Amino acid sequence: MATIELRDVTKDFGGVQVIHGANLSIEDNEFVVFVGPSGCGKSTLLRLLSGLEELSSGEIHIDGERVDHLPPARRGLAMVFQSYALYPHMTVFQNMSYALKVAKKSKQEIEAKVHAAAEILQLTELLDRKPKALSGGQRQRVAIGRAIVRDPKVFLFDEPLSNLDAKLRVQMRIELTNLHQQLQSTMIYVTHDQVEAMTMADKIVVMRNGHIEQVGAPLELFNKPVNKFVAGFIGSPAMNFFQGKIISANEGAYEAQLDNGAQFKFKTKAGLLNAEDKIDLGVRPEDLQPNQDGSGKIVGKATAVERLGAQTYVYLSSPIKESMIIHHAGDLDVQSGEEIEVSFNLESCHLFGPDEQRIEFDG
Amino acid sequence: MSTMNKKSGDLGTWLMHIFLGVNAVIMLYPIIMMALSSFKTNKEIFSSPFSLPQSFSLDNFAVIWNETNVPRYFINSTIVTGLSVLVLLVVGTMAAYALSRYKFKGNIMISLFFLSGLMLPLRLAIIPLFIQLKTLGLVDNLLGLICIYTAMSLPATVFIMTGFLRSLPSELEDSARMDGASEFRIMVEIMVPLITPAMVIAGIYNAVPIWNDFFFPLIFIQSPEWKTLAQGLTAFFGEYSINYGVLYAGLTLAALPIMLVFIVQSRRFIAGMTAGAIK
Amino acid sequence: MAQAIDTTYENAVARRRNLRKLWLAFLLFPAMAILLTFVFLPMASAVWYSVYDWDGLVRGEFVGLANFQEVLFDARNNKFLINAFFNNVKVFIALMIVQNGLALTLALLLAREPKGYRFYQIAFFLPVILSTVIIGFQWKLFLNPIFGLVNTLLRNVGLGDWAMPWLGLPETALGSMILVNAWHWVGFPTLVFLAAIHRIPKDLIEAARLDGASEWMIARDIIWPLMAPAVTIIVVLTFIGSFNWFEIPYIMGGLEGAPAYSTDMLGLLFYRTAFGSVSAGNSDFGTGSALAVLIFIFIFTFSTIATRYLTSREVELS
Repeated sequence: MATIELRDVTKDFGGVQVIHGANLSIEDNEFVVFVGPSGCGKSTLLRLLSGLEELSSGEIHIDGERVDHLPPARRGLAMVFQSYALYPHMTVFQNMSYALKVAKKSKQEIEAKVHAAAEILQLTELLDRKPKALSGGQRQRVAIGRAIVRDPKVFLFDEPLSNLDAKLRVQMRIELTNLHQQLQSTMIYVTHDQVEAMTMADKIVVMRNGHIEQVGAPLELFNKPVNKFVAGFIGSPAMNFFQGKIISANEGAYEAQLDNGAQFKFKTKAGLLNAEDKIDLGVRPEDLQPNQDGSGKIVGKATAVERLGAQTYVYLSSPIKESMIIHHAGDLDVQSGEEIEVSFNLESCHLFGPDEQRIEFDG
Repeated sequence: MSTMNKKSGDLGTWLMHIFLGVNAVIMLYPIIMMALSSFKTNKEIFSSPFSLPQSFSLDNFAVIWNETNVPRYFINSTIVTGLSVLVLLVVGTMAAYALSRYKFKGNIMISLFFLSGLMLPLRLAIIPLFIQLKTLGLVDNLLGLICIYTAMSLPATVFIMTGFLRSLPSELEDSARMDGASEFRIMVEIMVPLITPAMVIAGIYNAVPIWNDFFFPLIFIQSPEWKTLAQGLTAFFGEYSINYGVLYAGLTLAALPIMLVFIVQSRRFIAGMTAGAIK
Repeated sequence: MAQAIDTTYENAVARRRNLRKLWLAFLLFPAMAILLTFVFLPMASAVWYSVYDWDGLVRGEFVGLANFQEVLFDARNNKFLINAFFNNVKVFIALMIVQNGLALTLALLLAREPKGYRFYQIAFFLPVILSTVIIGFQWKLFLNPIFGLVNTLLRNVGLGDWAMPWLGLPETALGSMILVNAWHWVGFPTLVFLAAIHRIPKDLIEAARLDGASEWMIARDIIWPLMAPAVTIIVVLTFIGSFNWFEIPYIMGGLEGAPAYSTDMLGLLFYRTAFGSVSAGNSDFGTGSALAVLIFIFIFTFSTIATRYLTSREVELS
């Protein structure tokens, strides 16, 4: 039960600013994912929130109370670490009860809470084991159990699944989502994997170079990325971008030409763009298809083809050596080396201006 | 070196074993002779030096136990070595913990301060040290030796412990911080238990030379009741210079405890004693 | 109200920072205090003392470099100094060849993990853990001219002519002590070298073997260059050890480097000068300190140069 608010939070390490004035509100019971490439500041932001790092400036409020002067344990948070950080010399029970022991809780209360958490996570059998004797998935669950026993207002997860193999990762993803349903508490989850972000989040926070680029629901980010970075980061395979320029601008009616030759017309607010402005057109691999009647056509030579039966990926190189990828649902009989024509519909494309910000089509 | 050649096949292997074997005999035989001679009477030592003793009589050891100060020396050495190593490990680990687990202004300067201590041969400062300890009333006092040994071995201890403490993941510390543990508690309950093997290594690294040293006692200890074992042996040798059986028994007795521990814990001993030389 | 909250906040942050500083000071202070008092202060004082005249434990007047002059150029002292210095040089060279050469051979053989590998390790290392006092007296007994085991053994195997008062002749005394020292310490460089060899990836040696290199070529071309860091450490430690050599000559030859100063060392000379003896006369802290400073400068300079030079030929094992 907690809302969180970050106000103009900044952080610098030895004069280098790594978080630039972050503002963010998180609702009660929300599952929020911080996502971005490595070094974007997502983990630092989480550590600022947890209290493991001190703010350089700004404020953090949890449930309306300012907490950025409080030590980690008094903020009512629990954290699950990337390496799990289980105490190697303690049993599972001791690991899970350590925080309660530090907080001087009674023996009965500790027993009860640990057993309840162990029940939820199916760890009851393992309580007497040392971490060394556990599998990766079990360690992961102990790390989560250690957070649960503290009954925190907010759970923080720092790339918790990155040490697991692919199969286990999918399974844990589902377990975590279920756990969120069950516990009904706010969760903040850091990952560099946009698939994890898309599948688990109520709200995604995309970060780059210490800036929050966009905050929104997964499909909102997918359908309306505010800039070229978010557009390229969300979605797999990544969006194709074609460079081009405005050739005529007339009272909100524009004509543009891509460097590869394709031309298209669109409408948007007047004065937003001028002739000769550089633009990027983003087309998702699903929206770039052969054999369709699109508003723009591009010819490309297939450099690689992956036919998986239910879907096909074709890697193409345009005449001006742009690389692009198309994702076709179903099988597509294309051979590597073959030239094919693909086209897009402007309505499903994303247009970015010279400043790489999204430009909304009108009508 | 020709024994290294594998092409000579069996012959090479044989030569290698002969070479290693002869060396092992050269290393062990004197020690075995020392131990065997300690059971012999003077007459036996002269008449049949290489044979087994006629009986494993403990007479020579009885002389040491009843008539010499060796037991007393033994206790003194135990006190000096034990306390020095204890203080070293506590104080050294504390400093190493600060240097390895915290970023703070002056960290590098203080690390260099400890590192430079590694290069100062304290023996050459024996004169000022003598005057200093005399002023402090620590000459002819076991506490003086403890101070010297602790100070002398601190740089290496800090150096070894810093290396081990650095290797611990910082997420453990963060995790304990999230769990609400104080910095002191994190050190004592989480981090230090994880480096006990390293502390054993550092302990042996320091204990052996301290136990064996006789240079500092030679200068700082005069009264028979405060002499350490290594130093006391020199006095004992003057006293019993013609009773060879007793001399051998004294040497054996002095060598025995450390040898027994070594044979049981050889792996840790070797790791410990070479810890400073292997990066 | 809002104002009040702000001060609480500032205070709390300040308190946390101060607490952290206090904690760091608590961790660092004891070690630094001990080291300063019992290592750095005496080392600095040694330099300070060397420029004063001393009467026993009482400091006299400032005499500049007179003490250094006395140590280096006074005809009487100078004779002892040169004799002791060259004895130390002999010890260093001999230990490099006998002790470290043998250690290298043993390490190369042990690296092949022959049968009895653990036993050999323990056997070679056993004397290392024993006190020099024990080793010194033990070998003094063994080397006794009349009933020592060494001469008895020689007589028993028909080499009676070789039996001699090893520690009594100027020609053999130093050599005997060096061999005793090598016997005492050889296990240490052996195991340091062995550890260095074990750190070389096995693939490298396997690859060389597949390339058809002989064991000798592997040792020379692969193992030797890659164990260079261990060699650096051992050379420097041997250098420092040789020029600080004290215990073995003190116990086996006495404070005056018997026989006839053939086993005199800088360490013994320093001790005699500082604390007094038959040859050096009364205790003199001034010249003693000057001698200590000179020895320190010599050891420090040469071990730094050696470390620089040896490190430059090391190859990083990535």
